[in-house]
Amino acid sequence: MEIINFNDVSFLYPLCKKKAIKNLNIKIYPSEFIVVCGKSGCGKSTLLRLMKQELAPDGDLLGEVLYNGLSIEELSPFVSASEIGFVHQSPEKQIVTDKVWHELAFGLESLGIDNKIIRNRVAEMASFFGIQTWFRKSIFELSGGQKQILNLASVMAMHPKVLILDEPTSQLDPIASTEFISTLRKINLELGTTIILSEHRLEEVFPIADKVLLMEEGEAEVYGTPLEVGDFLSSKYEEHPMYEGLPTAMKVYSKVCPEGDCPITVRDGKIWLTDLLGNELRIKKINSEENSYKKEPIIQIKDVWFRYSKNGNDVIRDLSLTVNKGELFAIIGGNGVGKSTLLKLITGTNRAYRGKVIINDKEIKKYKYNELFTENLCMLPQNPKALFTEVSALEELLDMVEDSKGTDDEKLNRAKDMLECLGLSHLSDMHSYDLSGGEQQRLALGKVLLLNPKILLLDEPTKGLDPFYKKVLAKIFKELQEEGVTIVMVSHDIEFCARHFDRCAMLFDGTVISEDTPRELFSSNSFYTTASNRMSKHLFKNAITCEDVIQLCEQNMIQNVMS
Amino acid sequence: METGFKTYHPIVNFCYFLAVIVFTMISMHPIFLVITLFASFTYSIVLNELSSLKFNLKFLMPILIIMAIINPLFVHKGVTVLFYLNGNAITLEAIIYGIASGTMMISVLMWFRSFNDIMDSDKVIYIFGRLSPSLSLILSMTFRFIPLFKEQFKEISEAQKNIGRGFSQGGIFKRAKQFMREFSILITWSMENSIETSDSMRARGYGLPHRSSFSIYRFDRRDAIALAIIASLSIIIVLGCHFDMNNIVYYPAIIIGDITLLSIIVYLAYFALLMIPIIVDLLEEYKWKSLISMM
Repeated sequence: MEIINFNDVSFLYPLCKKKAIKNLNIKIYPSEFIVVCGKSGCGKSTLLRLMKQELAPDGDLLGEVLYNGLSIEELSPFVSASEIGFVHQSPEKQIVTDKVWHELAFGLESLGIDNKIIRNRVAEMASFFGIQTWFRKSIFELSGGQKQILNLASVMAMHPKVLILDEPTSQLDPIASTEFISTLRKINLELGTTIILSEHRLEEVFPIADKVLLMEEGEAEVYGTPLEVGDFLSSKYEEHPMYEGLPTAMKVYSKVCPEGDCPITVRDGKIWLTDLLGNELRIKKINSEENSYKKEPIIQIKDVWFRYSKNGNDVIRDLSLTVNKGELFAIIGGNGVGKSTLLKLITGTNRAYRGKVIINDKEIKKYKYNELFTENLCMLPQNPKALFTEVSALEELLDMVEDSKGTDDEKLNRAKDMLECLGLSHLSDMHSYDLSGGEQQRLALGKVLLLNPKILLLDEPTKGLDPFYKKVLAKIFKELQEEGVTIVMVSHDIEFCARHFDRCAMLFDGTVISEDTPRELFSSNSFYTTASNRMSKHLFKNAITCEDVIQLCEQNMIQNVMS
Repeated sequence: METGFKTYHPIVNFCYFLAVIVFTMISMHPIFLVITLFASFTYSIVLNELSSLKFNLKFLMPILIIMAIINPLFVHKGVTVLFYLNGNAITLEAIIYGIASGTMMISVLMWFRSFNDIMDSDKVIYIFGRLSPSLSLILSMTFRFIPLFKEQFKEISEAQKNIGRGFSQGGIFKRAKQFMREFSILITWSMENSIETSDSMRARGYGLPHRSSFSIYRFDRRDAIALAIIASLSIIIVLGCHFDMNNIVYYPAIIIGDITLLSIIVYLAYFALLMIPIIVDLLEEYKWKSLISMM
């Protein structure tokens, strides 16, 4: 029998005209691993919350959501709390207490279980998730990935039969998110817990999912195996906002030669590619285009050393870097290699104890207060909420032009133009907190752009964005570049850097270890590189994006036919 | 570092400090004062070595001296007049009382410092959890959210500074306005965050009846013995207090009660009680040393 059953479910939020969920019929069987995907705002979160009594949104619900044949609303609170587990998006905000051990026990305390049993269960969970080494630590000593694992463990300690996760990896770096997904897989395989997960990055979850639910505007577009969903998305190609999120191997397969078994993982893709093309290839390289811009340095960092305190360790060591005018420049690297610290050196928040930071031919020390930030350099913070002060999107933008010259009408026009330019005109009266993550990001970007910066610094702007918004963001970057703005971005998202940026610098241990165009940089790496490159490395010299691989495949196939 | 007295159950720690601090505060007998000063000073050195020696000399010595000077300037009771200052009598009794109350005060301060070292947030939360499980949860959340707010405020300040809106320079009015702006961002943002926090609490069954309170502490035999010793010594001292053995008369003339067999027992009990953590810590140190030398 199915464990969760959506029986012709529709859901309407109060004061909304459009239904958030429309005529949904889904059956989920015990121990299945279900992935829910779709563009932000497609009703994923609503769907997930309807399965949990305590979190079910207010509104009109038609049809019924059943758990083991019982309506979710009628479950006893004890059953709902313990048997249906829910993990949210943000690692930080879900944690309630100050110590790891206390957080693990939180749910069990709520159920009123006595100390002896809690001790047992907590110990079990800590060993299952490998938490025992940081069991007594304070929450502040944990990394984001550890926090999210803790949230998961804390829910698992209640022994749920169904585990629901709402974009749990969107705030994590790639390494931590891979670890998180593999922990989920372990739970599914070893404990047989039913898992329902919403996720943007399909590359990692497609290989382990039993079924995928693709949602569009509150409706189930497709509900089937990953291969079926892959087929559907490939047939729509770029028209579909989720196409970009598909695993690389599937994209290449569907474009080049949709015959035989469809590969999902990099491994299968590699085998498939060899079978298709053979080992003897005529064309192995993409002819790289020369960058056309003039090389005029705008940010120069010369032999910089930095540490946070006199007796601390060096965070930045002997780092030199030059960013040219009008470039899209990305700084990549793992966690804790000093990426954000470097960004703070450029804004002057951190001061180097040795070496020089020169911006626009002037050393950063010589800038007077605020001179650096007036029509020169600006930084978009990682969390756009740190900039929002007003009651609506339009007011947010007006706030930035308040002090500038011109009449009120001119100011209003500037703000409106900016909204237009960012594609947010229809949201001008909305409160900034009611916008989605991607929209907030763009609004914050708008605020910063109204200062007319020549250099724009960004700290992980693609974090938590779905593939569709990433494309929108990339388009805005390109437009800014054409206007002559230099963009320096810190990111974990190597696929995004490979596709859209002019130059990348890879940081390790506080210094730049390589710096080149993405094509050169990623094709010389073997682990820290894009999935396309990993899949095609054995055949092609410098294919780094999905398009590169497709192009080379097609060229080679034509050559093979001709000869 | 978790060693010695700190590894005992929070109830033992708490009862000990409660007893010691209360006895110190109500006793002005010179012998009591000397014992508590000696014990609190020694224990703070055992716990923190150099840093507390520095603190004791830098902050506590001046307090003692100031008390000894200020009391006779304002209090003119006492029969032994030493000299007159602006027509006011400076008496020996007032000076001695100043020194005595100064000693009491710095001893209490030193005990509190040690209390702070021993009773970390977990232990405080545990003690309150005995009274009510929800109180302990509130405390635990407070310990989590205050540092979180601090961090968030820093993030906001930096973000504002990087768009040219720092509040470290400019006129006082402009600065105040910017500070209020950042503060309001912090409030809005935190309220928004608290929605997810409360969701996550409810999802894990918060609000169900009969909440229990989990702790990682176990009350074992060692704790029972320690608690029994603390209790029996305290009873002897309370008895002594009942017969006023912990105080002397300072005004108008100093009268010290006779030293009897009973009072000697009370002094010894007081000394023993105060020395418990020091003995525990030193014994442990000695054991480790002998263990290592055997290996």
